[in-house]
Amino acid sequence: MAKNIMIVDDSASLRQVVGIALRGAGYDVVEACDGKDALNKLDGRKLHLIISDVNMPNMDGISFVKAAKQLPAYKFTPVIMLTTEAGNDMKQQGQAAGAKAWVVKPFQPAQMLTAVSKLVLP
Amino acid sequence: MMNMDDALNTFIIEGRELLEQMEEALLRIEQMPDDADTLNAIFRAAHTIKGSAGLFGIDHMVSFTHVAESVLDKVRGGLVPIDSELVALFLAVRDHLSLLIDGVAAATEPDVETTRAGEKLVDKLRTYLGQKPPVVSGPQTPVEHVADLEAEPGRGARSGDGVHTDNWHISLRFSPDVLRNGMDPLAFIRYLGTFGRIAHIVTLADKVPSLSALDPEASYLGFEIGFHTDADKATIEGAFEFVRDDAQIYILPPHSKISQYQDLIERLPPEELLLGEILVRCGTLSRAELADALRRQSGQGETESQQPIGEMLVEQHSVSPRVVEAALDKQKQVKEQRSSEGSLIRVNADKLDEHINLIGELIIATAGASLIAQNVNIPELNEAAARLSRLVEEVRDSALTLRMVQIGATFTKFQRIVRDMSAELGKDIRLDINGAETELDKTVVEKIGDPLTHLMRNAMDHGIEPAEVRLARGKPAQGTIGLNAYHDSGSIVIEVSDDGGGLPKQRILAKAIERGLVGPEQQLSDSEIYDLIFEPGFSTAEQVSNLSGRGVGMDVVRRNITALRGSVDIQSREGAGVTMRIRLPLTLAIIDGFLVGVGGSSFVVPLDMVVECVELSAQETEAAQGRDHLNLRGEVLPFIRLKQLFDISEPAVASNAGETEDGLEADKLSWRNRSTSSLLTQEGAAALASDPELAFLLNPVKRENVVVVQYAGHRAGLVVDRLMGEFQTVIRPLGQVFHGLDGISGFTILGNGNVALILDVAGLVRRVSGREGRRNSKAMSYVSSE
Amino acid sequence: MTTAAPLHCLAITGEFTIFTAAAWREQMLAALAAADEIEMDLSQVSEIDSAGLQLMVAAKREATEQGKVLRFSGHSAAVLDTLDLTDLSAHFGDPVLIHSAD
Repeated sequence: MAKNIMIVDDSASLRQVVGIALRGAGYDVVEACDGKDALNKLDGRKLHLIISDVNMPNMDGISFVKAAKQLPAYKFTPVIMLTTEAGNDMKQQGQAAGAKAWVVKPFQPAQMLTAVSKLVLP
Repeated sequence: MMNMDDALNTFIIEGRELLEQMEEALLRIEQMPDDADTLNAIFRAAHTIKGSAGLFGIDHMVSFTHVAESVLDKVRGGLVPIDSELVALFLAVRDHLSLLIDGVAAATEPDVETTRAGEKLVDKLRTYLGQKPPVVSGPQTPVEHVADLEAEPGRGARSGDGVHTDNWHISLRFSPDVLRNGMDPLAFIRYLGTFGRIAHIVTLADKVPSLSALDPEASYLGFEIGFHTDADKATIEGAFEFVRDDAQIYILPPHSKISQYQDLIERLPPEELLLGEILVRCGTLSRAELADALRRQSGQGETESQQPIGEMLVEQHSVSPRVVEAALDKQKQVKEQRSSEGSLIRVNADKLDEHINLIGELIIATAGASLIAQNVNIPELNEAAARLSRLVEEVRDSALTLRMVQIGATFTKFQRIVRDMSAELGKDIRLDINGAETELDKTVVEKIGDPLTHLMRNAMDHGIEPAEVRLARGKPAQGTIGLNAYHDSGSIVIEVSDDGGGLPKQRILAKAIERGLVGPEQQLSDSEIYDLIFEPGFSTAEQVSNLSGRGVGMDVVRRNITALRGSVDIQSREGAGVTMRIRLPLTLAIIDGFLVGVGGSSFVVPLDMVVECVELSAQETEAAQGRDHLNLRGEVLPFIRLKQLFDISEPAVASNAGETEDGLEADKLSWRNRSTSSLLTQEGAAALASDPELAFLLNPVKRENVVVVQYAGHRAGLVVDRLMGEFQTVIRPLGQVFHGLDGISGFTILGNGNVALILDVAGLVRRVSGREGRRNSKAMSYVSSE
Repeated sequence: MTTAAPLHCLAITGEFTIFTAAAWREQMLAALAAADEIEMDLSQVSEIDSAGLQLMVAAKREATEQGKVLRFSGHSAAVLDTLDLTDLSAHFGDPVLIHSAD
């Protein structure tokens, strides 16, 4: 059974590129365009990983992760945050929200694949 | 959208800051080598730089910092003592890192000289790690060399003390929280399989308790792995990048020197002393190699303390005193680590507040008990009560320090604001931070951010001139914004300064007159003029910019600061710049107060603002009558009569001539024990009492008590009836109804249940010093007109 | 070892991970309390992580402490893979179907 990954980012092209890379590697991918959209798509279905941008309209990544971690089905789901900031502040907020893994933008699709497979192999 | 360059810039700024902190800490550590915080600051700086450099793939920096960090780790573990030599070495390391960061900023690879200097430092550092400097044969490219420093896979000629295996050894211990954080240790091990082969693995399950004692969401497993791969160390390390904070990870390259295994044994907790055995089982060490390692080391060690742990090892292999000693060291180190971990507990701020509130109640209760003890007057009880008060005071002090945090983090955020603003304004502005380590109450820190931001924006927008103007004025083109913090008599002072044009006094005044804030004929002192910019709706910017707003804000700034029981004053020199000085109480919750009585009311003056208490003699009071200042040892001291200020009716004071005598009699009684000799004649008293202007003279004649207070360099006298002594008090905010009540900043409940109002000394002093300033400027204008 | 009465059986099904660890712990404790000899069937385990693995170790330990016999049986592919990865098969001492020789 393929592993499910959700990618949350307001950039459609980024979602596309990541989606292509992940699907190519054998993962199933759910896309969401911001935190709010993502939260709506958390329907209890098992997710093995969430990849989320921080800075997004409607609901930012940190608030989204915080909200997702309140749901029993996603309490322990690993999260990779995508960030342009190496700032500790943001990380601390993210960590507190439950995001422990960070990938700095910009990244190559292969880098993302590597990061993902450290947490979940296909 | 930001790009990698922006993030890299952040790293450069952050790195420089960290290095500054590191330098400070290094200079401090020699004086107090036992200070865990200072040592941690150094470690943290190195650690953070390493982590960030890794994020950007700046490998030479990562590997250099890594070695430094390893030494610091040993220092932290008490395995390496701090001496001036070590401090000097780390200062050099810091300087080298600074060079490397400059290189990153300039987007250049380190040159040969820099690389060589780095190598020398690494060699020196490695002597602390018990590693011999590697023999460097021939020139190597900088990156390769530095990256291999620790790894030294030694694929070529194997030196005699290397172990005989082609496997890497990976030692993994995870924090209990790793699973809760969504990370599965097994996932990382599985990932290893994607670029190599797990030759041997020993899963350490002995820490897993029985099911009834198991926390199902905590992690208990550890792993020792023999790993075969052609990948480099960075790749292996990379497998664990997401658990770096949640795990202890040690990676030893193939053919590592036996001393490095020794090192690994030393690093791991004592209950895992079977490690040598595990290494053998992993195929990392052969039994012969282990025995060899032990035998060869045995010559060096002392043989004293082998008794307790020895047994287990003796059973298993030819144990050496050296290993036992290492084990004991290990034990000590683990204990120390635990205690330093123990000194860092995250506590919910609410819990802390509750704790401090309770201590507040405790203080009040203790004051009540002391009062009763005094009334009952049993010596033993008095003594016990006194001791209790003292202890409670200590508890209070220690509790308050829990809330103290450094202002540095708040300051650091401004680097970014300055950078962004200067870009937006097209001005070249530098931020100069001082006193970042100054501590103050967390609540204050949280609330001061916005006002500070406003002042900074204002200084950058209106203060710093455009470069052409600056150059024309003979100043450097780059403007400087200063942020400075320091402690000053129970307050923290935060200064926002700029080296810009200074406040345009005339323009402010003109604007104020135009707005009707002051009358055209009014004489204002300089500071009063500057203060006008804090008036609501005041703006002098000829060009309203969208950054610092339209004059909205400065009044809010002052209001916010006043709400924190603080004040802000301005120093300005036209052409040279402005310093805004914010003065805040160190803490908001509890103060040492000085209790005074006026009529039937009690007031509390914050003790750290009390300079002295004086009794006014007849001559002095007489001289002071009709004026609002008196002569204190030749100095002009403006004063306030609290009785008048708060309109307190005083039954003891004669309100008309007929009652004067009774009033005097009563006062005579109450003042009998005082060395007061001057009483008015009856006629005189009657005459005075009949004159409403002079009636209050009756009181002063019998000597008045004046509490001299000082705030922000200004003194004032508060005239009161009774001095009731020092008193610890918990500040309670005034309710909405009393909000904005002049001269009062809060209230407290006394031990006997009565309410005492806390005087807003800052406000009172401002009130009278303004008066004084006006008078002075009036006097000056008289002089000039004469 | 062959079955002996009274034997209590618990089938662990689906996800045997951090998400379900707390619930499985309760069930496993109940099973251990129910009999002196317990068999836990792992054939329906679709997914197992460190949390599941720890539960197995802890349950075995608990059984030993209580002087009971606990057997894991029918290891699913997911379980086998994990035991293989961690080299813990011997730790449990349960007969494990060898799928392919290695």
